[in-house]
Amino acid sequence: MPSVETKQPLPPRKTGVNPPTSWLEKSLILLSRYREVSIAVIALVLVTYFQVGSGGQFLSVQFLGVVLRDTARLGLVAVAEVMLMITGEIDLSVSGTFALAPYVMALLSAVWGVPLAIGAAAGLLLSVLVGAINGLITIRFRVPSLITTVGTLFLLQGIVVSIYNSQPIVIPVQEPFNAIFGESLFDSRADSPFSVHGVTGFTPVLWTILIVATMALVLHRTTFGLHTIATGSNLIGAREIGIRTNRIKVYNFMIAGGCAGFAGIINTCQFTSADPAAGGPFLTLQAIAAAVIGGTSLLGGSGTAVGSLIGAFVVASLNNGLVMMGAQATVSDIYLGAGILAAMILNVQVDRLRTRRRI
Amino acid sequence: MTSQDIPPLGPDTPVILETRHLSKTFGAVTALIDVSIKLRQGEVLALVGDNGAGKSTLIKILSGFHQADTGAVLSHGEEVHFHSPLDARAHGIETVYQDLALIGDLSIYHNMFLGREYHKRILGLKLLDNTKMRTLAKTYLDRLGIGIPSVNSTVDRLSGGQRQSIAVARSIYSSPTVLLLDEPLAALGVREGANVLGLIQNLRRQRTVSIILIVHNYNQVFEVCDRINFLHSGEIVLDASTSDTTEEELIRIIKTGLGREAIAAAEAQPQNLPPEEGARS
Repeated sequence: MPSVETKQPLPPRKTGVNPPTSWLEKSLILLSRYREVSIAVIALVLVTYFQVGSGGQFLSVQFLGVVLRDTARLGLVAVAEVMLMITGEIDLSVSGTFALAPYVMALLSAVWGVPLAIGAAAGLLLSVLVGAINGLITIRFRVPSLITTVGTLFLLQGIVVSIYNSQPIVIPVQEPFNAIFGESLFDSRADSPFSVHGVTGFTPVLWTILIVATMALVLHRTTFGLHTIATGSNLIGAREIGIRTNRIKVYNFMIAGGCAGFAGIINTCQFTSADPAAGGPFLTLQAIAAAVIGGTSLLGGSGTAVGSLIGAFVVASLNNGLVMMGAQATVSDIYLGAGILAAMILNVQVDRLRTRRRI
Repeated sequence: MTSQDIPPLGPDTPVILETRHLSKTFGAVTALIDVSIKLRQGEVLALVGDNGAGKSTLIKILSGFHQADTGAVLSHGEEVHFHSPLDARAHGIETVYQDLALIGDLSIYHNMFLGREYHKRILGLKLLDNTKMRTLAKTYLDRLGIGIPSVNSTVDRLSGGQRQSIAVARSIYSSPTVLLLDEPLAALGVREGANVLGLIQNLRRQRTVSIILIVHNYNQVFEVCDRINFLHSGEIVLDASTSDTTEEELIRIIKTGLGREAIAAAEAQPQNLPPEEGARS
């Protein structure tokens, strides 16, 4: 029997990949290496298109302010989904939570005169609880999260609409609460150093950037983030290593609920009242589209917080830009759908290239 | 034979891991019946048997992934209860599973340290020390002579052999006392398989780590193992040292599903000779 070679390392593998030849290939490779870059390029193309098409109005302070406010609203809900989608689960009830948290805050303030800050804390706590319930139903009763959260979505919508006879509740301006969590668009008393009045969505954008940055840090620099990716990428393998995958999933459901509730509170602070109809299923779907456009996989295992914020910007730009360029509201949905499809196809193709070239 | 330059274990070598009367069922399927095995210090024990014999189930009970219905696991003579793979790891038991348990979307160095990450504190926050893990993984894998493009690349870009090597390297990184290998050679080419076999042979020569190995290729069993435990339909039908059995006997057991004595008795029966004579040699 031949003796076994033990000391000699294997020669490096030849992967059979030729070096990139054309500039097109080189730029595609660059795109595929940084997921966020490819979606940022799409965003840039869109901005250029709208800027030229509207005769330079897209990048005006007023208009960009509206786009950024929508980006912040959608981005916060999208970012709520990212970590959960990385674990391979999904939460369709985020828009229900988005409506519930501020409504609870407003209700507490209107009925018992509870300060907004305490009401907001209660709303947030409730949002996290909704996430925990979603998680426990999904894990304990083995109901797919897609189904669990469709159930809770309708449940929450029904509850929010029925608590106060589907009436919007007027919320008071209480400084510094309003200034910190989003200046009121309709009340000049809400002007403060934290908000630049006239620039719509300044405070919400700051909050969104803060949350996205925190999420990116958690995902890439903490054990929890690492185990979240492991859970979604290889569930059995992660369990074999000893990662408590169920716990990781429930925590991420709770994070999703909390983020969605926070997004609702930030959004409501810009208006004079809490609207029980604020969270239709459409918001959830747009947020998921934003996350997926931003490079988050629907199958779990990969995703980025920064990418989904840019994805939210793309969706918000399409939403507002098309209307600005004179498209009817009915027609703009057609373009939005086509735009989402085009962005997705490009993303998937770039990803395939990445896998094929093993870069 | 290469195994001949390695001296056999002494008769009084201490038992390091032991199971007593383990049974395990999955619903209507009985995976293990009254399984008792003994693993001695530095020994390489082969677990052989046909598909569905319960080999992987036994490994997964020892690694804390499954829990036995009845029976006990003893580590260093004391009864232990593993509720999760982390408990088994804490007792110095490392496992390489059949599916390797590598995370495709994570880098090689994150895979190396998954479940035992290094941290550093920045502004009071407990963050991953990626620099340290990257450096440690690179030095360690270089020392083992495992050829990979870069420790930063994700595992899903590696070949089957590279993945296998990473999984084995990860399991021996913490110098475990017991190593459980579930078909470590299954997905490998001849040359890569030889490399992993060589790694096992090296560990056996040092006699510091005890290994339970699931293999299907009997050549490899006789090459690197000290002892063989044969599982058939969830029961141990043979427990013999490799010097005390032959490939032919293993094949006969796999065909009949009977232990040594039962085969001897069955062979003796059709003949006119008295059953005690000749057959039991």
